[in-house]
Amino acid sequence: MAHKPIESEARDPHVPVTSSISSGENTVWADVTSLLQAASQGLQEGELIHGDNFNLFAAMSALEIMDPKMDSGIVCKYYSVDEAIENGAAPVPLSFDKTIDVQCTIDIMDHLLSCEATWHKGHSLAQTVFSCIYLLRLDRTSSHAILHSYCRLIRATCKAVISVVSDARTHEEEDLFTMTYGLPLNGDGDGKCLSMLNAVEETISRQLRACKAPSSKKRVLEDIEPLQPNLDLEEGYCKALLCRLRFRKHFYHVLMCMRRPQGRGLELARKHIASCLSELECIYKSAEFLRSSACGNCEDGIEDKTTASGCEPIGFDASLNSRLSAPTPPRAIRILNWKKAIEYFKKLLHHLDIICSYSLDPSLEAVLRFVVQFQKPQPDLVARAHLQLLLVQDGKLYGRDPIFAVICRAAALPEVVKNHDIQKNEFVVQLGQLVINLLKILCTNAAWQRRKLGKILQDWRVIYVQLELAFKTEFGEMSSITNEENVCVKLSKHILIWVEEQTYWIASRFLMLGFELELYSPSEYCMVYWYIYVVLIKLAEKHHLKMVMSNDTGKRKGKKKRDSPKDVARDYQIPPAVLFLQCHISLAEGLTMLLAALRNENRVFQSLGPFNTEHEIFIQHFELLQQACIPDHISYLSFKDTTAYAQFSTLVMYNYFKDALRLAKELRSSFSNDPDRMAELRKIEQVAEHNGIALNVICRVGALDPSLKVSFEFNHHPYFATAVVRRS
Amino acid sequence: MLLKKSNLKKTVGDFLGVGCAKFNYMAMEHDAEKSFIHVESSEGSNPNGSNPVTKVRMLLFRRMLVGVSDGRFFLGSFHCMDKQGNIILQDTVEYRSTRRSSPSPMEQRCLGLILIPFSCRTSCHVDCSIEEQLSLLSLPG
Repeated sequence: MAHKPIESEARDPHVPVTSSISSGENTVWADVTSLLQAASQGLQEGELIHGDNFNLFAAMSALEIMDPKMDSGIVCKYYSVDEAIENGAAPVPLSFDKTIDVQCTIDIMDHLLSCEATWHKGHSLAQTVFSCIYLLRLDRTSSHAILHSYCRLIRATCKAVISVVSDARTHEEEDLFTMTYGLPLNGDGDGKCLSMLNAVEETISRQLRACKAPSSKKRVLEDIEPLQPNLDLEEGYCKALLCRLRFRKHFYHVLMCMRRPQGRGLELARKHIASCLSELECIYKSAEFLRSSACGNCEDGIEDKTTASGCEPIGFDASLNSRLSAPTPPRAIRILNWKKAIEYFKKLLHHLDIICSYSLDPSLEAVLRFVVQFQKPQPDLVARAHLQLLLVQDGKLYGRDPIFAVICRAAALPEVVKNHDIQKNEFVVQLGQLVINLLKILCTNAAWQRRKLGKILQDWRVIYVQLELAFKTEFGEMSSITNEENVCVKLSKHILIWVEEQTYWIASRFLMLGFELELYSPSEYCMVYWYIYVVLIKLAEKHHLKMVMSNDTGKRKGKKKRDSPKDVARDYQIPPAVLFLQCHISLAEGLTMLLAALRNENRVFQSLGPFNTEHEIFIQHFELLQQACIPDHISYLSFKDTTAYAQFSTLVMYNYFKDALRLAKELRSSFSNDPDRMAELRKIEQVAEHNGIALNVICRVGALDPSLKVSFEFNHHPYFATAVVRRS
Repeated sequence: MLLKKSNLKKTVGDFLGVGCAKFNYMAMEHDAEKSFIHVESSEGSNPNGSNPVTKVRMLLFRRMLVGVSDGRFFLGSFHCMDKQGNIILQDTVEYRSTRRSSPSPMEQRCLGLILIPFSCRTSCHVDCSIEEQLSLLSLPG
């Protein structure tokens, strides 16, 4: 390396900045570029220059500059929002040609909708909605009434959605959602955003009326300035703008109405939801007009576009605040396309409508059934947060029914008890808390839900023991037979049985969610169905017991409680709710035995993994249930005992699927006014019928024909598999 | 002196070099011990420090200002350099202009330990006294 004159080194043209970043006192910045180059030539391959404190492992975690996946600070196009604005990245007005200005405004609206949907789907606000430069500097748009009112309402809507999700704490599962650090989300005057939008809407609807009016009337309306000069396009643009503005307005109303306490705004919210959906339809239809009038040639790849017209929107740059989006890695995200965004909002509104149309049934059983049903189509975060806030407000169900009263009703206790002093008992208060927690957990996504349900099982088991003791000390002292004691004994019995029933319900939900999350492999189905079977048996038993007891209190000399619901299964008087469970029990038992017989006789569906024994798999799947003794005295050995001798010859004689089918058909009349349970019964019938046939086929030819292949599919029911028999 | 380290393996060199992150941990941990050059051992052989490697070694822990291709600067203490010229700085602060046209106000951000690949480095300065600057820059011919 040759000598270089010092002067030229010191005045590197690249480094005007050394003057603004101060060196130490009496020191200067010396350029060492050529020295480093010389040194690296002197280094051996693999050598490093480092000090004593160097730790190679720690050095590995260094942030790599200019790596797009690690370095969120890379300067892309602009150094700052202000520079972007100065360079004309977000002009106001968008164009001096009024027609183009309207076109571009609509593109911005559409892209913002796509961004909003992408945000709801779990990306950060900074990278989605707030990639809009107009939103980052909202005051600049005040001269552009349409854009300004729209952006203001978007900001207010984002704020409302964040507040719902963070209040519901459902965002724990998707914690990026509520990150708003550094974003200008709080502006004053958002209260007026609706009145501003209304004024804009009014003006545009007048412009629309003016351009549609026959020419004779035109003179009267002439004082109205058209939206833009091209009269052929006036109607189309007015309509396109109106439906977009109105959608915003109604959507904001929906969010506001749904937040009213005790579900008082639900009815009104439904009206706004209906309006939202019809405006969405108009937005969707406007695409044809917008695409034809867009000047650019955006024909190719319209499917990926984030706007109806297919044009790129002006004024968006996600890289501007990518440094705010920490702790997300600075990865480029893909904004949902416009059609998908509209579909997302349709789906969201549909789910919100389901919530709004709910009758606020005071029975906990009905609430649980509703939530489970609601979760089936896997609603997104925003809808789930709304449901949760509706269910639990101020520690009460719907903010209206005290939890103790809800528990009493669920435990089939008479109304008088609900003011009993026992509700002040520490453990009864705790029980109330558990119920609230359960409701909240049921509103989270499937994976989170299952994890939490598994954890709270133990709490429910413990509270049972604590309540049992508490009731003994509270009521045990009253020895004389008074009316008061009678109520107390009844109260404690009912609540205890209900707690057990609820525990088994949680366990069954826990097990079934495993299917939704695809946690089980076919070789494990046998033990899973067996566990579902034993849990459901217990659930049915407790449920039946509770019903019998409440009948007792009604009739005094009612029927005696029975030990096993299986004995009573043929009893004419068994309540339909128990028989409904019995259908599931028969299916689970049938599937267990079918799988066990296949394992024993055909040597398929065995767990022969090289890593885990079957016992270990059993523990892995059911550890949480086993720890909580759900049910008592159930272990891997009992599973083995039940299934070790399963054979087709005996299975054919007692076909569980036939049982399920018969029961399901009988039950139809009992649930004729409950569409959800009717649908479930139909599914049960299908699974039972198909499996019954499959069983017969396997029995007849299975053992003789080695080419027979049996597989399991979930095409009729999400949790109960259907056996499919094929000849390979 | 450097040639004594004949038992080096290529994998260590790959540490900061190719791809900056893809390398073999196992081989590296083993070889790292042997191959790293220590400040003390080298100074004995050449007290005047005419060898550029020795000179760079003396810059360790000094404040270093590195400019990168997108216009940002990083100020941190010099921690490590490899043959490929990749540099690791410790306790780094990122400086960026808020505007392309200079002079403009600078934004700062603390980043900690960073690796600046050779490919994106555009300038590199060390904080030193004027006398030292002269000696640093006089390289052997």
